[in-house]
Amino acid sequence: MKLAMNMLRQYVDIPVTPEEYTQRMIMTGTAVEGTEDISGGMEKVVVGRVLTCEDVEGTHLHECTVDVGGPETLHIVCGAPNVAAGQLVPVALDGAHLPGGVKIKKGKLRGMISEGMICSGEELHVPTELYPNIEEKGILVFHEDYPLGADVKPILGIDDTAVDFEILANRPDCLCAIGIARETAAALDTEFRAPEITVTEAGGNIHDEVRVRVEAPDLCPRYAARVIKNVRIAPSPLWLRKYLHGAGLRAINNIVDITNYIMIEYGHPMHAFDLSKVRGRQIVVRRAHPGETLTTLDGNERALRTDDLVICDEERATGLAGIMGGEESEITEGTTDVMFECAAFDRTAIRLTSRALGMRTESSGRFERGVAPGTVMEALDRACMLVNLLDAGDVVSGVIDLYPNPRPAQVITASVKHIQERAGVEIPADDMVRILKKLHFGCERDGDTLTVTVPAFREDLDGEADVCEECLRIYGYQHIPATPLSGQTTQGGVSPMKALKDRTARLLTGMGYLEIMNFSFTGVKEIQKLGLPQDDPRNDPMPILNPLGEDAAVMRPTLACGMLRTLAFNMNHSTPAARLYEMAAVFDHHHRTDEGLPTETQTLCLGAYGPDADFFTVRGAVEAILRAGGIGCEVEAGGDAYYHPGRCARLTRGGVTFAAVGEVHPDVRERFDMPKRAVIAEINLQTLLTYFRPMGEMKPLPRFPAVQRDLALVMDEGVAVGPLMADMRASAGKLLESMELFDVYRGAQVAAGHKSVAFSLTFRAPDRTLTDEEVQAAMDKVARVCAGKHGATVRA
Amino acid sequence: MSVVDTLEGIKRRVEEELQALDGSAALENLRVRVLGKKGELTALLKGMGQLAPEERPKVGAQINEVRQWLADRMDEAQARIRAAERAAALKAETIDVTEPRPLPQMGSEHPITLVMNELIECFTGMGFDVMEGPEVELDHYNFELMNLPKNHPARDAQDTFYMDENIVLRTHTSPMQARAMLTRKPPIRIICPGRVYRSDEVDATHSPVFHQMEGLVVDEHVRMSDLRGTLEAFAKKLYGPDITTRFRPSFFPFTEPSAEVDLTCVSCHGKGCRICKGTGWIEVLGSGMVNPKVLEMCGIDPAKYSGFAFGIGLERIAMQRYGIRDMRLLYEGDARLLGQLR
Repeated sequence: MKLAMNMLRQYVDIPVTPEEYTQRMIMTGTAVEGTEDISGGMEKVVVGRVLTCEDVEGTHLHECTVDVGGPETLHIVCGAPNVAAGQLVPVALDGAHLPGGVKIKKGKLRGMISEGMICSGEELHVPTELYPNIEEKGILVFHEDYPLGADVKPILGIDDTAVDFEILANRPDCLCAIGIARETAAALDTEFRAPEITVTEAGGNIHDEVRVRVEAPDLCPRYAARVIKNVRIAPSPLWLRKYLHGAGLRAINNIVDITNYIMIEYGHPMHAFDLSKVRGRQIVVRRAHPGETLTTLDGNERALRTDDLVICDEERATGLAGIMGGEESEITEGTTDVMFECAAFDRTAIRLTSRALGMRTESSGRFERGVAPGTVMEALDRACMLVNLLDAGDVVSGVIDLYPNPRPAQVITASVKHIQERAGVEIPADDMVRILKKLHFGCERDGDTLTVTVPAFREDLDGEADVCEECLRIYGYQHIPATPLSGQTTQGGVSPMKALKDRTARLLTGMGYLEIMNFSFTGVKEIQKLGLPQDDPRNDPMPILNPLGEDAAVMRPTLACGMLRTLAFNMNHSTPAARLYEMAAVFDHHHRTDEGLPTETQTLCLGAYGPDADFFTVRGAVEAILRAGGIGCEVEAGGDAYYHPGRCARLTRGGVTFAAVGEVHPDVRERFDMPKRAVIAEINLQTLLTYFRPMGEMKPLPRFPAVQRDLALVMDEGVAVGPLMADMRASAGKLLESMELFDVYRGAQVAAGHKSVAFSLTFRAPDRTLTDEEVQAAMDKVARVCAGKHGATVRA
Repeated sequence: MSVVDTLEGIKRRVEEELQALDGSAALENLRVRVLGKKGELTALLKGMGQLAPEERPKVGAQINEVRQWLADRMDEAQARIRAAERAAALKAETIDVTEPRPLPQMGSEHPITLVMNELIECFTGMGFDVMEGPEVELDHYNFELMNLPKNHPARDAQDTFYMDENIVLRTHTSPMQARAMLTRKPPIRIICPGRVYRSDEVDATHSPVFHQMEGLVVDEHVRMSDLRGTLEAFAKKLYGPDITTRFRPSFFPFTEPSAEVDLTCVSCHGKGCRICKGTGWIEVLGSGMVNPKVLEMCGIDPAKYSGFAFGIGLERIAMQRYGIRDMRLLYEGDARLLGQLR
């Protein structure tokens, strides 16, 4: 919210620089976005009189002599069509600054010396609503008389600083000059001067002019009206126009400007009706009827809900309460009778209507944030006082004020000690009383007890904690000391899941993996790129009602999409190799928690490509992570449809799947625009945590020697080595300490369609040196099982 | 020639030969020739039978003395030769240690995780417990228990993604505070790091998905000054001993009084620079004393207990710490960028 400082100065002294003022306001709770020189940095532009004005032959130029009150007259060449001798004009002198950074220097134009510039309104950035005498084309000509050489800024109403305040959500009372002035007085400890409101009534009786009925007092707690007759529509005076300009509003005419001025002065949105256009001279405030429609000012016919509050005349709804008035009763040049409406509407009702109809106006925004009913009459009378002041019409005697349930003044009892304890600052009790009074609270102290009466314009307080904040913010947050936490000590620590993630991250970063973070959103189209079967629940992820876009419309059911997208991004940015991981939740709304929330499963996804990344390196990383959790897994071929069908596996133990790993299916790669092969893996961290077994006792080192035997087996290509090795282990018995595959051979030495696989088996007993016979017996058993169950024969 | 002369001759010759030796093999050869079983000294000893018996002990002693002397000289020579040979071998194995080679390929955690872990370490050290919770959250915990009833205008400040009327993507990690207060008993000291969501379009400084860490303390006699003390301790741990805090009045529905907290600009140490826009302060977090209404709604007696809460945005800290100008880079997964943290 922008306000001109001169407007504020009507109500409070600001004896400091704009910079210091800004700081003091910020430190007491009124944020300031910035300040702005309304003149745009204008300097050395003064009033001058054109003494002579000669046409320069063959051009559109004029050679003028101009008196700017100095000892010498100036020669100025001017191209404006409307320049003439005798005019009073703004003159930019040599060295002048114009808004927008333009500098004026003495110079030559077509060989003629020009010692300055006669300015147009546009060149001075003065809008017509601020100075209506500005000619459409050509230089600005003053119609009033001003001393020669005088600075033009005060004349044009731009000799001021506008401050852009950012008002906190709980302080709608500060969305106006009076509110800011009250805060200013407290922040600077200066005097607040409320306008003294007196209305001169011209007789008559308002009840003869208009009737008002509120049928929905729950949505309209207060409705007040006054009537002006013999309205004389005219432009507003400069002082009013410039305050509107400083607040970023356009001046229109005296009546409309008064309502806007009250809005920026008191924060009350008002509405002015052309009373002659109100059918039956009757105003009804009610809920919309079922099926009722309303044509709003923008020409759209809108269907209303029965909770929408409308303003009606005798016949029908003409406006949306607190949001937008009706076109028919707008103020025009011909308006003679005006009714001012000043009301308080329910903020939720206004909010919902404004939302439902997609109509946000300055007025609706203010009502949504809250307009206190208690100050309605003050604002309405101030408007009428301005009517008197501007001689804009005759104020009819009497007011309509429908306020069936006046809100009683709120009283809060607070303890000085509690406030001091909450703040951790020994604010003296006398200072508390002084501060609260400065903020317009009523305040009585009886020992430790403060009885605080909240002013009508403040609707944001309801307890001792709020009183504490009021005292503390004016006393100064800088007085809050830094004290260490006291009390019973507590044991801090991370959650088991966070600990698991940290451990896993250490392993992965040691293996060269970089952590990535993708958004938790994805789109159904992207999930479909995975080519999962139609009925896979991941194809039906949890939708967001109001997503940012189609590609971010659902919560991701898998980390695979984001990983594939990121791998593609890196491949397509000429990164030759990458190892990436992400740890995040995946969402499943088909399985809900007791609270009805979707299941969130913390998941780890790995992705790798490049010369050192094949199925086995990634599977190795996964196995290392599982092993670090004390989990040894079996590898089973197979996996989701987005994996290469011949190069993917699940890692399971006892029927529990811990992880999946596989090369990306070439079709999927094409859909994700991945020019290179890549391998990804997914680990369910929740399952890993459930089965996680911390490292136990270490085994003692062996005391007896091991016996190592090699075994080469020839078998059909189709025999899977994993299950074969499981059987070998089982048949070798407990003497087998370890077994390793060390060679796979295909070629001339073995029959076509066969492979030779060589293993090294290590046998050891904990209590003795093994004999050859014992080892041979075990080897024979292994060979028998291999031959019998897998058709694998010992290579000759 | 007397035995003595012979011994002297051997000594001289051996000394000369030792000088000229060119390797350990030649030395071994010499040792065998002089001291071996068939060597010259052994021959002399064997020849003692020809001497008069009374001379034998004296000559024997002389021979043994010379033998010892020669053995010492040869050991010395051996040590010298070994050292020379080792030195030559080492010289032959010299490599160019300045030759560049690829580093072991290390990975790295994400900048946000790095910052989050730093903060966690800082607060767990002060006795705070880490709590995590659902990202898809009930409106009840996200808003209502945070004193933001339905249709409250302050909800507008947190543009919310809705899943349905009662389920939202959490707009802050505050719902975990509510869950903590409902399930734990004071003293409560927790931090809740995690992902949060607001329906902001993506640009250089906004993201619909970002990270927060909120803290909550509930106990008897908790004061706003304790909040300041805790945050100053955190700021000094994170940025150094000359960093301090500035509290500015603010408004959050769930705290009263509320404060925006600025830290001394790390870049200029408070002198004023481009990063802090000349103010010397950087806005880092929002905080305040837990609103008694919130305590009450969460089943904690506000007459007995009080508390403070704060919330820190991690993206801002990560961007500042790692010089990242555009927030989008954090979510792009570009290995060329993230790999620099290796």
